[in-house]
Amino acid sequence: MTADELDPLIHAPTRLKIVATLAALPDGDALSFTRLQDMLGLTPGNLIIQLRKLEEADYLASKKTRNGSTQKTTVTLTPEGRAALATYTRALRNLLGDLNAEGRPAENEDTDYAAF
Amino acid sequence: MNHTPGTATAENGGDFDPRQAAALLDQATQHARRTFTPLPPLLFAFRAVVVLVVFGGFWLSVRGQHPYTGHLSGWAVIVAIVLVIINIGLTFGAMGRAGDGVSGPTQRKWGVWKGLMVAAWIIGYAVTAPLYHAGVSHPFWGLYPASAPLLIIGLAGTAVAVAFRYWSLACTCLAIAVVAAAAGFGGPANSWLIMGIGLCAVNLAIAAFTAWRQRRSLVRP
Repeated sequence: MTADELDPLIHAPTRLKIVATLAALPDGDALSFTRLQDMLGLTPGNLIIQLRKLEEADYLASKKTRNGSTQKTTVTLTPEGRAALATYTRALRNLLGDLNAEGRPAENEDTDYAAF
Repeated sequence: MNHTPGTATAENGGDFDPRQAAALLDQATQHARRTFTPLPPLLFAFRAVVVLVVFGGFWLSVRGQHPYTGHLSGWAVIVAIVLVIINIGLTFGAMGRAGDGVSGPTQRKWGVWKGLMVAAWIIGYAVTAPLYHAGVSHPFWGLYPASAPLLIIGLAGTAVAVAFRYWSLACTCLAIAVVAAAAGFGGPANSWLIMGIGLCAVNLAIAAFTAWRQRRSLVRP
């Protein structure tokens, strides 16, 4: 397996951080644009560009809500996005296993830790 | 799936080494887990100290009573009130920070969970007032407040957590109920001590488990 087989949409530093951050939320939960921006330390323009690329691939969905004069945008990872990250993680693990001549069985990230 | 055509830049993965990607994935995941976890390990460690001090203080204030009256000393009650208030403040602060900007079905379930737990706490301890009014015997008065409320809260929490499929939380609540049930066999004075040690151990175990889950790598063994 080679690095070229990694999903190019996720295999980019900023988008990888975005997807990993949203994947840490329980399935179906959304994060506000401003909180995501704070967590990743990105400029609004850069974040919008990366979110748009992921949204075009159906990896995430955004929703705009208006409360009076203020508008709030929230983003959530879609099931397709979660599946893509799981595939990417497995591929990365296999690739590193090949590189290190060792590996481990695939394992899903569980999200019910948020219950604590 | 509409992939954006990539170029040989770092932002499009061109120069992005798989080892760097693995490190970044783990780093981002661990940061997000720490940020979104409503109750951090440090808070559970603090709670372990709180229960040990509070229940230990109650035990110290009743263990030498001959005959046993079950009355707690003033200093023990004051220390307990102060520590419980601090714990409530830290808990709400941590939960507020973790939930800031987060919305969705899990947040709604958390709202229901919190409401049910507040009701269980009120019911568990409210029963002590009519018992006191009815003039129950001193040993019973010593035994009930030490173990029964947390047995009720633990069992109620287990039921709700199972309904929500929060398995780790269900195990925690069940452990609290088991400790409370075991404390009942310790007698009026020693039940406080068993509760203190038992709940301290449960909180330390949760702290260690939460810390392990936060740090667990997605990619590396």
